[in-house]
Amino acid sequence: MGLAYEFDWGVLWRNPYGMYLLQGIWVTIKLGLIGWAIALSLGVLIGTVRISPWRWLRLIGTAYVEIFRNIPFMVQLFFWYYAGPMLFGEALQYRINSIIGLNYYVAIIALGMYTASRVAEHTRAGFSAISRDHYYAALSTGLTHPQMYRHVIIPYALRIIIPPLTTEFLTIFKNSSIAMTIGVLETTFMSYKIDSETFHGLESTTGACLIYLALGLVVVRLMGILESRLKIPGMIGR
Amino acid sequence: MIQIKDMSKWYGDFQVLKDITEEIKQGQTVVVCGPSGSGKSTLLRCINGLEPFQKGEIFVDGVSVSDPATNLYKLRTEIGMVFQRFELYPHMTAIQNITLAPMKARSKPRKEAEAKAMELLQRVGIPDKAHEYPANLSGGQQQRVAIARSLVMEPKIMMFDEPTSALDPEMIKEVLDVMIGLSKGGMTMIVVTHEMGFAREVSDEIIFMDEGMIIERGTDISFFQKPKNPRTKEFLDKILI
Repeated sequence: MGLAYEFDWGVLWRNPYGMYLLQGIWVTIKLGLIGWAIALSLGVLIGTVRISPWRWLRLIGTAYVEIFRNIPFMVQLFFWYYAGPMLFGEALQYRINSIIGLNYYVAIIALGMYTASRVAEHTRAGFSAISRDHYYAALSTGLTHPQMYRHVIIPYALRIIIPPLTTEFLTIFKNSSIAMTIGVLETTFMSYKIDSETFHGLESTTGACLIYLALGLVVVRLMGILESRLKIPGMIGR
Repeated sequence: MIQIKDMSKWYGDFQVLKDITEEIKQGQTVVVCGPSGSGKSTLLRCINGLEPFQKGEIFVDGVSVSDPATNLYKLRTEIGMVFQRFELYPHMTAIQNITLAPMKARSKPRKEAEAKAMELLQRVGIPDKAHEYPANLSGGQQQRVAIARSLVMEPKIMMFDEPTSALDPEMIKEVLDVMIGLSKGGMTMIVVTHEMGFAREVSDEIIFMDEGMIIERGTDISFFQKPKNPRTKEFLDKILI
């Protein structure tokens, strides 16, 4: 019996391991996409609230951003999964804990809410890149504040912040790997599972690396297409 | 049309406007000049309620701007405003810039808004630029689109905040010509500008502001050739070479 490590790349596709990885990829994609939908809509809303004329609304927005961006994501995940149900009182707590797939829901919501705090800050940066006279120009034509944000300011600000949003979109896929800590069967979890069943961790983690890399490159490409289609004429493109 | 009575405004402890009193009648064109930081732009923003003021009153067509019961959104449709840096919406074409407010604030159908927009682009001399994005227009063309964007709401008053200060010299005339046409057509106008040729041609009154106060006023540019206030003289010596 030799001591040299024998590579077995077959663990990446051989039955049942190939299926493990495919399942993991599918869960990673779902976590990333649904989490991103939450992050983008909630983030833009909170970013807008943070520059609203109403003090108490701004306070809520600031509190949200500071709480969610200053606590490590894994701690937030544990909090929502283990402590979250207790917030609803004893009766509801039992029912929540018996929801099938609770860890998946918690992971998606936690990813969305954490990333929203970061999207909110980018949105705010986009808003402050727009001159005060631009807001005044829209208002002076008789648009209401909601109409101004909906048709003029938000479409403009989002175009300005596409590059940092691309980074956030990538990060949500990478952060989704932390969901394995509450037992979500996503890509990273599956690569560990293959390692524990075959002792070929080098191959399985290499596989996971390549999967994340490929997903990331697809996101970058899609955002690049989006950026060139939405590009404001006259602004410097890439 | 516009009455300003003893109006003062502060940014924190700093008083930007001091006891401004002024009346502008229907059809008049009033030119406001003065050094930067004298409160000219702030005065315009108070007239259409973009910024609040703390003392005094402003009435536009009999409506108090500072009255909490006043619908400022509706009031602003009566007052067009043109800015130094044009402020066209960069992600929309010229015609989309013009039709946004009629379609959203007045719920006009697209067809009707576009017909009106084309008519106005014709009036400012660039109907062929309707489907261009702002970045593909020259400064003078952008400013004319901005004027059309204000006019489409059929305002009773037009305010201009240094409309030619960001333009190359050869484009200033095309914008001033549109403004002169408006003034002669009977529009009530307040124009912050240092274009004394424009003031000479169309203004009914010229106001000189410094440090938040109106320190000199007259009905004719010649008035400024023998100003009472030394500060006015000093300023005019600099701009009238």
